[in-house]
Amino acid sequence: MSEIKTQLVVLGAGPGGYSAAFRAADLGIDTVIVDVRETLGGVCLNVGCIPSKALLHVAKVIQEAKHLSSHGVTFGEPTFDLDKIRGWKDSVVSQLTKGLAGMSKMRKVKHVQGYGKFTGPNTLEVEGNDGKTTITFDNAIIAAGSEPVNLPFIPDDERVIDSTGALEMRDIPGKMLVLGGGIIGLEMGTVYHALGSQIDVVEFLDQLMPAADKDIVKMYMKTIKNKFNTMLETKVTGVEAKDDGLYVTFEGKQAPAEPVRYDRVLVAVGRKPNGSLVAAEKAGVTVTDRGFIDVDKQMRTNVSNIFAIGDLVGQPMLAHKAVHEGHVAAEVIAGKKHYFDPKCIPSVAYTEPEVAWVGLTEKEAKEQGVNYEAATFPWAASGRAIASAATDGLTKMIFEKDTGRVIGGAIIGTNAGEMLGEIGLAIEMGADAEDVALTIHAHPTLNESIGLAAEIFEGSITDMPNPKAKKK
Amino acid sequence: MANLVDIIVPDVGEDEVEVIELCVEVGESVDAEASIVTVESDKASMDIPCVDAGVIKSLSVKVGDKIKQGDVLGQMESGSAAETDEPAQEAAPEPAQSSAEAAPVKEESTAAPAAQETQQAPSASKTIEVFVPDIGDASDVEIIEVLVAEGDSVEPEDGLITLETDKATMDVPAPEAGKIVSLAVKLGDKVSEGSLVLSLEIAGSDTASSEPAPAPTPAAPEPASAASSEKSAPAPVAQKAPPVPHHPSAGDKGKTGKVHASPSVRRLAREFGVDLTLVQGSGRKNRVQKEDVQSYVKYELSRPKMNPGSSAGTGSTGGGLQVLAQPNVDFAKFGEVEEVPLTRIQKLSGPNLHRNWVTIPHVTQFDEADITELEAFRKEQNVLAEKRKLGVKITPLVFMMKAVADALKAYPAFNSSLSADGESLVMKKYYHIGIAVDTPNGLVVPVVRDVDQKGIMEISRELMEISAKARDGKLKSADMQGSCFTISSLGGIGGTAFTPIVNAPDVAILGVSKSEMKPKWNGKDFEPRLMLPLSLSYDHRVIDGALAARFAVHVSGALADLRRILL
Repeated sequence: MSEIKTQLVVLGAGPGGYSAAFRAADLGIDTVIVDVRETLGGVCLNVGCIPSKALLHVAKVIQEAKHLSSHGVTFGEPTFDLDKIRGWKDSVVSQLTKGLAGMSKMRKVKHVQGYGKFTGPNTLEVEGNDGKTTITFDNAIIAAGSEPVNLPFIPDDERVIDSTGALEMRDIPGKMLVLGGGIIGLEMGTVYHALGSQIDVVEFLDQLMPAADKDIVKMYMKTIKNKFNTMLETKVTGVEAKDDGLYVTFEGKQAPAEPVRYDRVLVAVGRKPNGSLVAAEKAGVTVTDRGFIDVDKQMRTNVSNIFAIGDLVGQPMLAHKAVHEGHVAAEVIAGKKHYFDPKCIPSVAYTEPEVAWVGLTEKEAKEQGVNYEAATFPWAASGRAIASAATDGLTKMIFEKDTGRVIGGAIIGTNAGEMLGEIGLAIEMGADAEDVALTIHAHPTLNESIGLAAEIFEGSITDMPNPKAKKK
Repeated sequence: MANLVDIIVPDVGEDEVEVIELCVEVGESVDAEASIVTVESDKASMDIPCVDAGVIKSLSVKVGDKIKQGDVLGQMESGSAAETDEPAQEAAPEPAQSSAEAAPVKEESTAAPAAQETQQAPSASKTIEVFVPDIGDASDVEIIEVLVAEGDSVEPEDGLITLETDKATMDVPAPEAGKIVSLAVKLGDKVSEGSLVLSLEIAGSDTASSEPAPAPTPAAPEPASAASSEKSAPAPVAQKAPPVPHHPSAGDKGKTGKVHASPSVRRLAREFGVDLTLVQGSGRKNRVQKEDVQSYVKYELSRPKMNPGSSAGTGSTGGGLQVLAQPNVDFAKFGEVEEVPLTRIQKLSGPNLHRNWVTIPHVTQFDEADITELEAFRKEQNVLAEKRKLGVKITPLVFMMKAVADALKAYPAFNSSLSADGESLVMKKYYHIGIAVDTPNGLVVPVVRDVDQKGIMEISRELMEISAKARDGKLKSADMQGSCFTISSLGGIGGTAFTPIVNAPDVAILGVSKSEMKPKWNGKDFEPRLMLPLSLSYDHRVIDGALAARFAVHVSGALADLRRILL
């Protein structure tokens, strides 16, 4: 049993945790990071955002190669070497985790591998492969993240997988059910569909990606209608594991009458916070029934030397939110008077096409009684989108009507996630429609659709009929 | 060719905007893009430019008018015509280029624009209008004092009216010397930037000698146009030198969540604990910049706060005194009451007195001076002065001032101030003495300079003057600055002793009560002597008790026998 004394221990080495640890180390704080995995990076790098993007890249190229036949270029039917695809994915992950390990070493952040649990307000015990380590700390940052929600009525069968299992890519199932119409399920459905699986998606609510605006999702539904069989307002009531497959019973609006046989069921109904798994109560930290830990705007828990960040402090459970929270927590521990004070946090579904939104959605603006006006530029009017065969897209901006201030935006289409940054910046900087419209966007780009949407609001659009033109 | 065109208000982005300044006058020749009028909306002010070069023929708006897109501002003769030397075919009186030689006055009545260049003949006088200058975004500000009356003559920078916002009081100064023709406001009126205050008749020779003054154009329908030229209009003058420090507060703009500030500025505000809804943004579209947060913090730290009972007079940064807030008593429960607002002087001096009282460790030394001989001498001199018709009356206070000046020389610690960091003493080599004067509006402390170098008669005369000024409320702030030591005399009223509050940055103050005939033992028997009670309050951080006692003895000794001052 070994003992470590440190100024700061960070529990969890996902994007939030390692960012907090690195920031703290750079501010001169002696820092130890604890994580179950051998590598840094947490779920995001190892079994989440990054490996899924490696596979989505593969899926996208397969699709584009197929589409090219309608432009006069025909490739042969693709053949898949699953080991190599998996290898590609793993190489992406390992390149990044190695990079993190190097940066951690450079910053002299000590990595203790094992399962960390609090034993008091200043002590943590880590149970690792090489025995127990007791860490005595001045401050702690809990960054233990979240894990997929399991449904109790679904049998424990190796053909029932979660996002981690889906990323393992053991084989290409003939028919797969995606249980849950959120971002994670749809991304994995996109990958498996490109590799040849037949995909059914079942969602309990009346809309896929329930947080996004209806018009955006409607566009998405249009583009996937030939790929996925979608069952909305429908729930799964039972899964029976038989030798020849998993027989799933549905109930609801679009439920098939008979149980349907699937080779795989991907459960992607959400993630639950890991707040209850670190014995936070031994340090005096309050954990909610659902496993969240409440924090103030400086990421401080009810115990003044213990902070919490990332998925386990609340929605949205997104890596980029956790990173910023991690920085704030580290800076506050270093004595800076910083606060987590963003105006907006972007969300991106890396599906095909991508769906991205930031700031207020129209739905939220309505709920909050904001006097808003939305302006939507359809990509069918964009030269670049037409030339790139990417006309299935919309760029929508939401403005506060009186001031013209940008308060939200949503994009669906190729590279939507990449383009979202401009809208986020506009919101944070308090830019208004005029500012965005007067910013010269390169032509022809997909990105110029943001400037054009602002021109629609301003009434200065010339690439489309102008509803605000003077009547003659 | 002469081409008379209407000057139309372009899209101003608002339904209606107010004209706050006319930038041109009838007859002026203007370049394209030159400003015609300045308008102000609730968001910003902007100039409306002229689309073409030419000569302004008429203006149909005046300051205060509300205008909107499409309104006609006036007419102008467009540039192409004005630049040619061809005589105008239409009724245009004269092309601008030739006006220097042309006789300035034509037969036309309203269209007779005395062009600026031609107005060389110095008129005997002209009348300008004085407007409320930039008062830091406050609007509907109450006039709490009207300092002048119609017919009064004023010097530049003399106060005309006093405004009070929730943050400060300020005087609107006279832009130039002149005589008040008419007042447009009265006590209690609410005014905003650009409101007309009064009309001022300016002596013609003053301005005409230096610059060609714009014509008064008495025939012009809009009186405001006379005051419109950049050179003579009072409003721009006042804007260049606002009478108050820039006030960065955005007032009641505060709607949370609507703050126009980037993430880095929001972070800075958090670090200072600044509520951004209270900060006026100086950036484009009122965006709050880092400098705005910084100047807001500076302003908040520097401004005195009236904060009765809750904390030190200097606000939370003063001494950090945390005391119980005053209970809020409903006095009407106990009988009839009337609420009378504090006077301006009370509001201004209250926080200073509070700060001095709580931050200076006060000790008061009491003494008595035998002024039997002094009073005999003084009365004798007054009789003589009256005989010689000197017009001066010597008061006991003058002798006290001389005695104090002498004591300050003997005990220089009393003629000092603590340095800002509290690490050293600033020793003064001059002897200026402040005199607390009771006025109908409150206490003021004018200063008599170089008391050590002046004679009794000279000081008496000066004292009469400043007391009269103080009672009339005409003291300038310069008259009240630079004191080394203060004397507060209640001798004319009564009392035996009191504890005056040190008037920081002075380190001591002498209180004087009513003199009284008392039996004094002279070694053989009791003798009636006129005794003057003295109360010397001092800053114990600078002066110790023994020194204070010696100073008090020195003052009373000098008053008992003035010859000691000569020693």
